[in-house]
Amino acid sequence: MGLLKKTTGLTGLAVAANPHHTLGALYGKILRTLQKMPENAVYRKYTEQIVRERAAVLQQTKDVCEIEQKINCGQAEELIIQAENELNLARKMLNWKPWEPLVAKPPKGQWDWPPAQQ
Amino acid sequence: MSFFFKRTLGATTNLGRYILKSNTSPFLQRIATKTDQAATQVETRPTVAKIDPLQKAHLVDFGKYIAECMPKYVQKVQLTAGNELEILIPTEGVIPVLQFLKDHHSAQFANLVDIAGMDVPSRPNRFEIIYNLLSLRYNARIRVKTYTDELTPVDSACDVFKAANWYEREIWDMYGVFFANHPDLRRILTDYGFEGHPFRKDFPLSGYVEVRYDDEQKRVVVEPLELAQEFRRFELSAPWEQFPNFRSNPAAEEVTTSSEENPKQN
Repeated sequence: MGLLKKTTGLTGLAVAANPHHTLGALYGKILRTLQKMPENAVYRKYTEQIVRERAAVLQQTKDVCEIEQKINCGQAEELIIQAENELNLARKMLNWKPWEPLVAKPPKGQWDWPPAQQ
Repeated sequence: MSFFFKRTLGATTNLGRYILKSNTSPFLQRIATKTDQAATQVETRPTVAKIDPLQKAHLVDFGKYIAECMPKYVQKVQLTAGNELEILIPTEGVIPVLQFLKDHHSAQFANLVDIAGMDVPSRPNRFEIIYNLLSLRYNARIRVKTYTDELTPVDSACDVFKAANWYEREIWDMYGVFFANHPDLRRILTDYGFEGHPFRKDFPLSGYVEVRYDDEQKRVVVEPLELAQEFRRFELSAPWEQFPNFRSNPAAEEVTTSSEENPKQN
């Protein structure tokens, strides 16, 4: 503590002012979005698991460096981007409903290799 | 459990310097032998690619993970060449699957390396569109394949990956596959005023027109092709089998998908 972070070292990625608060808000939003999906959706299950793990790390400590080390998926700024992406994805998933059964079966021989002769 | 590539990532970051120093990377070898005890024999031939069983296990797990998460869109998951994961999807699933692979926490395939096309005229859907993705976070690659015919449009991936713009133009130019909602779909590689799609199997090798400079008209003129010899049907397929050694080991091995089990239960 006491050291001010000057740069993330990544082009175009500014240092976040209060990453702990931003991350907490984002994880909350993701979890609330996931609540709207059906209980047995596998995407919901896995994403909730991942986000809960990260949110638990947030609760344990306020120190940003420690959070980064424990989550082990890049700097806090990158974590924020990942959470934003996941939030966007989860909202789109509500429209796509990927937990439903297969939308179209492949035509016969479509994925065979080498292809049948004539 | 949810991060399949985590351990591989950890290993590379911890031992990156070590591996850089010595090209032989004894650590990877040690992993290979340790996990290999229960599995098949270790590859020792110097000219044959060595498959890391740990990496392969990660890929199989991740393939199953995707198939589980998106049963609506994933038709089949397979491994080719031992360590290349392929997701086979219908045309409807292009945007959702690519978006999932890009944005999901445990995938993060943020780079679109290439989009390729393939033409197999004997199939009902003759074109395959192949997306190659790269995840810098987990140091992993993945391939997404879909299919279409001459008339069915494929959803443009431009909304997901900016890089898809030119790649899709390329495919439109070479194969004539139409991409719906593409911001600027026009030819990119062929000459101005070119007609036809040269990578289709039924496009003749010599093309339809020839171009020359005309001295009298002082400009370049385009004329229908005239061949000195009569038209001849080239029989390109040999009467014998080219790679008999590969008859018994198929190119792709299937990762069992939940989507294939589900229809049986229903």
